[in-house]
Amino acid sequence: MILAELKSLRWADLLLYSLMDPRSLYRQINRDEPRSFALSFLMPASVAIIEIVTLSLLGKQTPFFYYKVTYGWILLFLCQALISVIAASLMDMASQFFGWKGNIREFITLINFSLFPRFFILPLVYIFRVFNFAPLFFYTFFSLGLFIWSALVVIQGVSEMHSCNFGKATVVFLFPAILIGTTLFFMMILLAFCGIGYLSV
Amino acid sequence: MDRNRKLLISILALLVLSSVIAIVDISMNMQQKHGMGISLSGPQVGPGIGIVRIEGPIQMSGTQSPFGGIPSAEHVIRRLNELEQNSDIRAIVVRINSPGGTVGATQEIYEKLWRLRKKNIPLVASMGEIAASGGYYIASACNVIVANHGTITGSIGVIAMSPNLRGLFEKLGISMTVIKSGRYKDILSSFREISPEERQLIQEIIDSSYRKFLKDVARGRQMSESDIEPVADGRVMGGETALKYKLVDALGTFEDALDKSRQMAKLSEDAPVYDETRTPFEQLLYGMGGRFMGPGLMVPDPRGLQFENSYRVEYRCVQ
Repeated sequence: MILAELKSLRWADLLLYSLMDPRSLYRQINRDEPRSFALSFLMPASVAIIEIVTLSLLGKQTPFFYYKVTYGWILLFLCQALISVIAASLMDMASQFFGWKGNIREFITLINFSLFPRFFILPLVYIFRVFNFAPLFFYTFFSLGLFIWSALVVIQGVSEMHSCNFGKATVVFLFPAILIGTTLFFMMILLAFCGIGYLSV
Repeated sequence: MDRNRKLLISILALLVLSSVIAIVDISMNMQQKHGMGISLSGPQVGPGIGIVRIEGPIQMSGTQSPFGGIPSAEHVIRRLNELEQNSDIRAIVVRINSPGGTVGATQEIYEKLWRLRKKNIPLVASMGEIAASGGYYIASACNVIVANHGTITGSIGVIAMSPNLRGLFEKLGISMTVIKSGRYKDILSSFREISPEERQLIQEIIDSSYRKFLKDVARGRQMSESDIEPVADGRVMGGETALKYKLVDALGTFEDALDKSRQMAKLSEDAPVYDETRTPFEQLLYGMGGRFMGPGLMVPDPRGLQFENSYRVEYRCVQ
């Protein structure tokens, strides 16, 4: 069954749509054909290992690398999956503020598949690293670019999900970022106050 | 659609290939930087040497916090138990950098080492800057003692100290009200002179501990007590002098001690060394310890503790 599913290459459509047509991606997720929820978690797992290898290429290369690609990969995958779940929950909450029906499962799948463009960070950075031409700058540059690509995938997917315009879908996408950002901002302020208080005693 | 699918599979294959090339690239870079054997600094396996570190004043329950602390006798014994139960450990090197400590804690570690020695586990003591008094006591339980030329060692003896603050208290007009159940309950009190009877009682403890010290050192060094007694008057000495009096077996570094232990355990020259592991995060916190802690906030100065308990009798080199 699984082998037959693999051979059919229908799963490749999900990845293809992640790159080229996010609206079709959502439609595919909605049809659940092939079953995409569990499959989507392959994305954070793969992104985790690609991020680790990319950063190890740029940084100091020590035997600690072996720990990073084993235990570190598990940890990063769990973190990435957790971020997907939290972001999906918050986006779902934002959707419900607009009066739309909640659908966290599809949100999680969509967010996971939106990570696929980030696979390209490794080959892109590797080229600049081989030529030793500002690899760190290009890592940051491409990371930013690929993040925007991922964001566009999610926004278009949300737009298709709720049949809403691009602006509202952007608000839904930005809601978790704004909420988490604001919380972190206030936490940092509190931490700074505590630190200054501690040092000045 | 099929064409697109095949294109995507090709892209995925290229991504996997680039990941594999990157991992191989990283591994090759590491081999160039760190020599051929990854196992040199990577995970180590197989029969090897276990390291136990005894650093700072020895006491039964040390203070431990994420920012560092004083390792306790209990911690050292736990570590020795771990090594004893590990079938890969063929010899143990006890790295000592301590001026000694409390009698009970020192004796616990000595006895544990002695039990291991009786089980025919080769033990080598490696002395660092200082391994005096209780530090030497522990070292004497090992089969071989290796000291640096500049190691401060010896100081075989027992000491109990209590400050006499009577004069200061009188000057300040402070008097202490003491209600006690027996005449010796406030023995070694800081607020009055010690009486001859009290001195005699403390002296008995000191003498008994000293005799035990001498006996255990003689047992560990396989010498007679009379051979050790002439230098067991509390004197400190350097590594060379200690070698002359046969208190140590050889002059050398920690590396020499490792080599010696490998020889004794009949291990190859590159047999792995299992040191006490500390994660990079722990190392960071330990490094921060001195910088971000107020004095006595989390890890009290052991010398400050000395006067809290008047009954503390120590195998300690007074610095």
